[in-house]
Amino acid sequence: MQRGRPVVEVVRLGLVSYQEALRLQQSYVGRQRVAAAGPVPGPAPPHALLLCEHPPVYTTGLRQPYPPHLLDRLRLLGAEVHRTDRGGLITFHGPGQLVCYPVLHLASFRKSLHWYVGELEQTVISVCSRFGIEASTTRHTGVWVGDNKICAIGIHCGRYVTSHGFALNCNTELSWFGHIVPCGVEGKGVTSLSAELQRDVTPREAVPHLLRAFAQRFDCELTGDRTGCAGTD
Amino acid sequence: MAACGILRRLSSNFSTALPLLTRSATLSPLRLASKHYVQRTLATSSRLSAALKFTDKHEWIRVEEGGVGTVGISNFAQEALGDVVYCGLPEVGTQLAQQDEFGALESVKAASELYSPLTGEVVEVNELLADSPGLVNKSCYKDGWLMKMTIANPAELDALMDETAYERYIRSIED
Repeated sequence: MQRGRPVVEVVRLGLVSYQEALRLQQSYVGRQRVAAAGPVPGPAPPHALLLCEHPPVYTTGLRQPYPPHLLDRLRLLGAEVHRTDRGGLITFHGPGQLVCYPVLHLASFRKSLHWYVGELEQTVISVCSRFGIEASTTRHTGVWVGDNKICAIGIHCGRYVTSHGFALNCNTELSWFGHIVPCGVEGKGVTSLSAELQRDVTPREAVPHLLRAFAQRFDCELTGDRTGCAGTD
Repeated sequence: MAACGILRRLSSNFSTALPLLTRSATLSPLRLASKHYVQRTLATSSRLSAALKFTDKHEWIRVEEGGVGTVGISNFAQEALGDVVYCGLPEVGTQLAQQDEFGALESVKAASELYSPLTGEVVEVNELLADSPGLVNKSCYKDGWLMKMTIANPAELDALMDETAYERYIRSIED
């Protein structure tokens, strides 16, 4: 039996620490899991799409091949460093980068992580094309413009509820990436919407395009658009 | 070598009967006479024919001789994950309750949790997966096994799905 389109609540967090965003994600994850585990199948709680920017932070994933001295060097640059349970290797988040955390229960979409990651990639490719940028996927996860990565993706999934997500470089200070091998992929570079278009493109400018692309790709209804914290720029 | 050949032909005649033999208390004369070889054949056959039980999270467990269960993920799960690039597995000796998270599989930048099908203790972890995580995709029921655990509470097996029930379950969620 076909139910209506899934409802996804947009939550704009503004500039928020990585820890704080993680904490908020977990509360949305909890909301999905509690509802799914309940004895009586009632209306599902809306899924959530968290949007934010972070102060400079390097994050590592489930695999831990990073020695402490490397992580200390990154801390001495003035960035935070966090271990996470998402897939993917090391990456950077910072001002000017639009970070998006979809907390979805895949039962309302398609119960395949492989599919989900692909759909996120296609969503971002669609955003890039709305800016006139030709982006693509390669055998390395993420979204690329030629040999340069414009968006990193790293997901966690437990009991079909997703967390973590993707990070699109809008006008990020790209030199931060120079201190790591982003996502462990040697010999490739990074780029941003601003670098590609040679003009300043802020996360705020990218958000409406992202929301439209996401709603289309995932065939869902976006609601709320609540502002969680102080806005960005 | 010749003896092995005879035994192999014999065992193929008995192939449908063997599961019955292992379950019954009486021993056939053949088994008593060539205990070592026939037992090994019996063990191989019973391991291949031992039933898989499935959880609703697409893990399977197969009870081996000695009351140890081998755990892995189903074909449905490995297809949904995509190419596995890393297996995060528990330490030997870890105590797990049914449905406890015991590890994660990483594929295409997505890490997915693994849940213990039963209560028990981890006795072995598949070391091959460190260098060849792709075995989970290529051979999810055999070489891509994840861990082995003791079965503290055999009654928990009753709550798991057999292969037919699991196939029905997959069809229902694919709608």
